[in-house]
Amino acid sequence: MKLLTHNMLTSHVRGVRPGGGFPLRIQATEVKVSNVDFNQEFVARMIPKVEWGALVEAAESLGHLSDLPPQLPPEYENNEDFLKKVHHVLLEVEVMEGVLKCPDSGREFPITKGIPNMLLSEEET
Amino acid sequence: VEYLSGKVFFTTNSELCKLKKLKSGERLFLLLKKHAPICLSRNKGKVFHEIQKLVIEDPGHWLDIISIWKHLHENKVKQGNLCKGHPESLKRKSEEINIVTKKQKTEQIKTIFDVEEQKTNMVLETNNNMDLLTESKTFLKETPESRLDKSVESNNRSFRVSCRCSGAIAKVFTSQEVGKVLGITLMKQFGWKADLRNPDLELFVHLNDIYSVVGIPVFRLPLATREYIQTAGLRSTIAWAMASLAEISVGAFVLDPMCGLGTILLEAAKEWPNVQYLGADINDSQLEGAHENIKASGLMDKIELLKASVVALPLPSESVDVVISDIPFGKKFKITKDIKLLPNILQEMERVLRVGGTVVLLMSQDLHKHMDGCISNCVESDTSLNITSDGENGAAVVKDLNPKEKNGSLRNIPSSVKGVEIEHLHNNITCFGSLAAVESYKVSLGKTDAFIYKYRKVPGAGMQ
Repeated sequence: MKLLTHNMLTSHVRGVRPGGGFPLRIQATEVKVSNVDFNQEFVARMIPKVEWGALVEAAESLGHLSDLPPQLPPEYENNEDFLKKVHHVLLEVEVMEGVLKCPDSGREFPITKGIPNMLLSEEET
Repeated sequence: VEYLSGKVFFTTNSELCKLKKLKSGERLFLLLKKHAPICLSRNKGKVFHEIQKLVIEDPGHWLDIISIWKHLHENKVKQGNLCKGHPESLKRKSEEINIVTKKQKTEQIKTIFDVEEQKTNMVLETNNNMDLLTESKTFLKETPESRLDKSVESNNRSFRVSCRCSGAIAKVFTSQEVGKVLGITLMKQFGWKADLRNPDLELFVHLNDIYSVVGIPVFRLPLATREYIQTAGLRSTIAWAMASLAEISVGAFVLDPMCGLGTILLEAAKEWPNVQYLGADINDSQLEGAHENIKASGLMDKIELLKASVVALPLPSESVDVVISDIPFGKKFKITKDIKLLPNILQEMERVLRVGGTVVLLMSQDLHKHMDGCISNCVESDTSLNITSDGENGAAVVKDLNPKEKNGSLRNIPSSVKGVEIEHLHNNITCFGSLAAVESYKVSLGKTDAFIYKYRKVPGAGMQ
């Protein structure tokens, strides 16, 4: 699971307060960093879709903050240095094993082989 | 460029390696002969004579085509290597090759890529062959073929005839009979040797009510064979077709909530790379298969997987640009029980899709009929769409075999019809109220038929 994907995921357990299922806390037991080709346009277009605070928090919790600022800087589109850092955090840092924890309900979702299991039982939906 | 049911005919002088990249075609043929349908008479012998004429009428032409084929064939290996390095340096004699690409499953297939085909047309007129090859869409089906061999010595070229008859002629002859007649004729005519297993040359003959076509396959393997897909789920051609309809743009977020082995995502990610793809499935073994496929195709960077249910996606509302999915049916999904999930599935897709986003779904006619009840509104607008454009109703479009008419209807969509859809949707708020039907295409999956439906999430409607 890349942090880009993590940034999209939200807990949907029944009873979660609206917006309360996000962001999921990551408890990683195995993190992989791989090389992904940098595409400036792609990263620049992804940033507006990302919850910045959640990304920073997630990166920090994995020890891969990579100097990301707590606030999204203005006019980042042409800031290649910055985009490269975001690229690294969004796409190159991958959680292979661990748990995602719903901040509201505490429900845990396991991550195995990089695939988060977000499946809920019938009672939970 | 000419479209017939199940086949696209075009002329090109492009490189083989380019032709190989045609994504939506099942097979590619050199056209030997295209004819009006064989007229049937009571007298079998007479009809056989007609069929024979297909072969022997113009031997000079045949030999020309065969020398082109031979030329292509001999260059294949060489080209394959060269193309990678210097596509430009490879200026082959620009011979005009008449190539027929066959959709071998005819009867009901509509040409899927009307929009792109129009492009192809234009490209052809301007003689821009590079573009032709990336844009030209041919859609073909493999066929259960009957084969024939006879052995006669001479000229040391071996061949095999693969014949397919459908329509009226199929009622009179079996494919085997026709193949036999043609085989014998060819042996007499050119002195070739028949070899069923490993022929130098394969001849495809397709006879039906619309045309008689004879062609030679350009490649031994179907175009639809993808070296990057290990375990195939859905047909790669269909998957590619769906992805090409989905209007995937750079930086988009594309979700297949029932990804299975990931075929659609793989096809899409190959063609539109700078996009984030997410595949979800509830089945571990499917996910594992998808994982293997993604790994084998080197697309680990592009596609992420997730175990989740399509009716409870762990994604925020309006977070996805494109939802693209093969809604399972047939063996795996029993209509009776699982069809009840369909509204939930659509509702969830609608929820996660951003306004203006696209949904492209593959589903059976049964499923769609069932959906009529749920989103009568959208279907209604679908119908009116066709009425406004070319006087066809929804059902007729489904049966529509004439790509030209389809082209006509598509051209009109952007201008006259969109308003109609939206209007309809405003009047009636259903659970899929904001998903407006855009277009639908009938495709053949071999034995079964299915439909590709495209919806767009319109602003406002359904959210009010």
